[in-house]
Amino acid sequence: MMTPDGKDITLLAIESSCDETAAAVVRNGRQVLSDVIYSQIAVHRAYGGVVPEIASRKHVEAIEPCVRAALDEAGLSADRLDGVTVTSGPGLVGALLVGVSFAKAYAYAAGLPLVGVHHIDGHISANYIETPSLEPPFLCLVASGGHSHLVYVKDYGVYDILGQTRDDAAGEAFDKVARALGLPYPGGPSIDQAAAKGDPKAYHFPQAKIDGASFDFSFSGLKSAVLNVIHQAQQKKETISVPDVAASFQYAVVDVLTEHLLRAAQETGAQTVAIAGGVASNTALRERLTAECTERNLRFLCPRPVLCTDNAAMIGAAGYYAFLRGVRSELSLNAEPNLPLGSRERRFHGR
Amino acid sequence: MKLLAIDTSGLVCAVAVIRDGVLLAEYRTQYKKTHSQMLMPMLDALAKAIDLEMNTLDYVAVAAGPGSFTGLRIGAATAIGLASALGIPIVPVSTLDALAWQLCGEEGVVCPLMDARRGQVYTGIYRFRRGPRVDASAPFAMETIFTPTAVSVSEVADRLNDLGEPAVFLGDGVPPAQETLSERLQVPYRFAPLWKNRQSAAALADLAARYAKEGKAVQADAFRPVYLRASQAEREAKEKKAREAAGGEESTHACPPEIELRRMLPADAAAEAARETACLGREAWSERLLAEAADRRDSVYLVAVFDGRSIGHAGIRNVCGEGEITNVCVDEAWRRQGVGERMLRELLAQGKALGIEACTLEVRQSNTAAIRLYEKLGFVCAGARPGFYEEPREDALIYDFMTEKQD
Repeated sequence: MMTPDGKDITLLAIESSCDETAAAVVRNGRQVLSDVIYSQIAVHRAYGGVVPEIASRKHVEAIEPCVRAALDEAGLSADRLDGVTVTSGPGLVGALLVGVSFAKAYAYAAGLPLVGVHHIDGHISANYIETPSLEPPFLCLVASGGHSHLVYVKDYGVYDILGQTRDDAAGEAFDKVARALGLPYPGGPSIDQAAAKGDPKAYHFPQAKIDGASFDFSFSGLKSAVLNVIHQAQQKKETISVPDVAASFQYAVVDVLTEHLLRAAQETGAQTVAIAGGVASNTALRERLTAECTERNLRFLCPRPVLCTDNAAMIGAAGYYAFLRGVRSELSLNAEPNLPLGSRERRFHGR
Repeated sequence: MKLLAIDTSGLVCAVAVIRDGVLLAEYRTQYKKTHSQMLMPMLDALAKAIDLEMNTLDYVAVAAGPGSFTGLRIGAATAIGLASALGIPIVPVSTLDALAWQLCGEEGVVCPLMDARRGQVYTGIYRFRRGPRVDASAPFAMETIFTPTAVSVSEVADRLNDLGEPAVFLGDGVPPAQETLSERLQVPYRFAPLWKNRQSAAALADLAARYAKEGKAVQADAFRPVYLRASQAEREAKEKKAREAAGGEESTHACPPEIELRRMLPADAAAEAARETACLGREAWSERLLAEAADRRDSVYLVAVFDGRSIGHAGIRNVCGEGEITNVCVDEAWRRQGVGERMLRELLAQGKALGIEACTLEVRQSNTAAIRLYEKLGFVCAGARPGFYEEPREDALIYDFMTEKQD
């Protein structure tokens, strides 16, 4: 997909939906000229999770240096840009507002068009950067701290949601189990590391799925089962093997994600399957899917870890295809903490 | 010199442009739409109205705080975005200074009040003095008698009484403070009229132009809003650290997030009554009393649930605006893990919705763990009921609590 006159489109992309302040300059949706991430993980670790008010304050401090670094690295000034694209939702409202307010003001003052982008649209689009030959249609599993979606990508920015979580997101379950095991925040990498030394068959945890809703997930029951094991051991003053619990929990998550993705590939006839989001950087999930897809002759794609966790380059990719479709945001663009992905996303428990 | 000023610190959304001491345009609204939706379209309309070329601006001025955290950030991020794209500096102006500047020339003292919630206001006290030189554009100098801070309305009144001068109030903190002011103030006072009792971007711009001349502008990346208050998480962490440093034993722990609270149902009564008997012995409520309590409209009874199983309950009853916390009960295995604290915080929050302003409870004098928790939550010991409890016979301590608005 190109502009009608074949002209390059260079966008400044901004992302601030959670605890990373990020800015990137991306050309034609796939060529990353710069990708700057100011992480706040160290700040939030002391609280065992993201504190929204602190995250919002840090975004205000970081956003200008972050954008300036992205432009400097790309060697561009604002007058060489074709537009500004920004995550407008979903996410923490106070955090989103910083990126959205900055982007609107910057675009307005520089006389540039503005394109608001859905955060999950961004995660999925990270695959366009990783694999330049990738074109829709394909199947994509998005799993992160805030989202667990199984999506059929019909065209650029056009999504059919096949399944989603009924309660906790996959990454949220990682964070909570990690906390109960005394492992540091964020839980994903902590569990991944601990699990490497554990036995995934040491405990048998329930499957994180919903009967009768074939592609939906439910991670809350799985999480409770793990917490129960930990709690009962504490009550009986027994020691548990942290690596074993981590490995068994991770196995249960990977198992349901893999099973759903492969079955969806079969049902939709998709030949290409991709993953995205923070959980997509999980080693066990990548290894398992690589093996299973090779066996089934499916093309399996996953972005490198830095493109899985929150970043602005992915917003630049999603923003580019939205830009080509003619999407332009008004100056009244607001942060939407519960922005739905397309018209078919369902709401469970206000999620 | 051309300067754009933005104020989104309170209920008002305001934008103004001044050039060499002339106000070219000022737009302001006080409406329920969010500043995020309102601010940029307002700036665009204003710019169109006066054919403003953005790249002719020399400064962006912004209300730096105090104010609503979210409002301040919308103004800050917008100012930073404009300044960054235009390559111009930001002039931060205290919200309270700018409010007061509207009443430039007033006799006595000027006292802006902004609602800071939690029973407090953001305020400062200012006085205007005629300048030594004859300067038509600035006949008065503003003197800060009491620097911006967050305090209770009573404290503001006390300070004004100490000063003993007539006072003029303005700001969106005035309506909720009026009653306390009228009770406590001993000096003559009045309220600014409607057209100058809220944030004004024109006043902000004029003050900012003066600050800019004094070299108080900063680069976009150096600007920080002035919140005057740490986030709740930071405050709590600091309090916890202080308690630990004081050698106090940590009485409560972070409640595991997997524990859910829900309303008690009459069907829960049997199980909860059994817990009462196990925890409280003779003071236990019967199944019938609990079933009745779960059904009453003047009461809130909660159960804490882990993995589908109840592990504790607590309840509050509204007696003419005063809440009585009647029961707090947690399974032995789950004590000291923050379950009671979570239930109590939720009870206080839900009780407020029932119209409960203050509440009270009784506790066995020897129940130090519970007392520590009540004190942590802000309960204050108001006396004792000698010999209130039986088996063993013991005094009850009475603890009272006044609800406050939270962040």
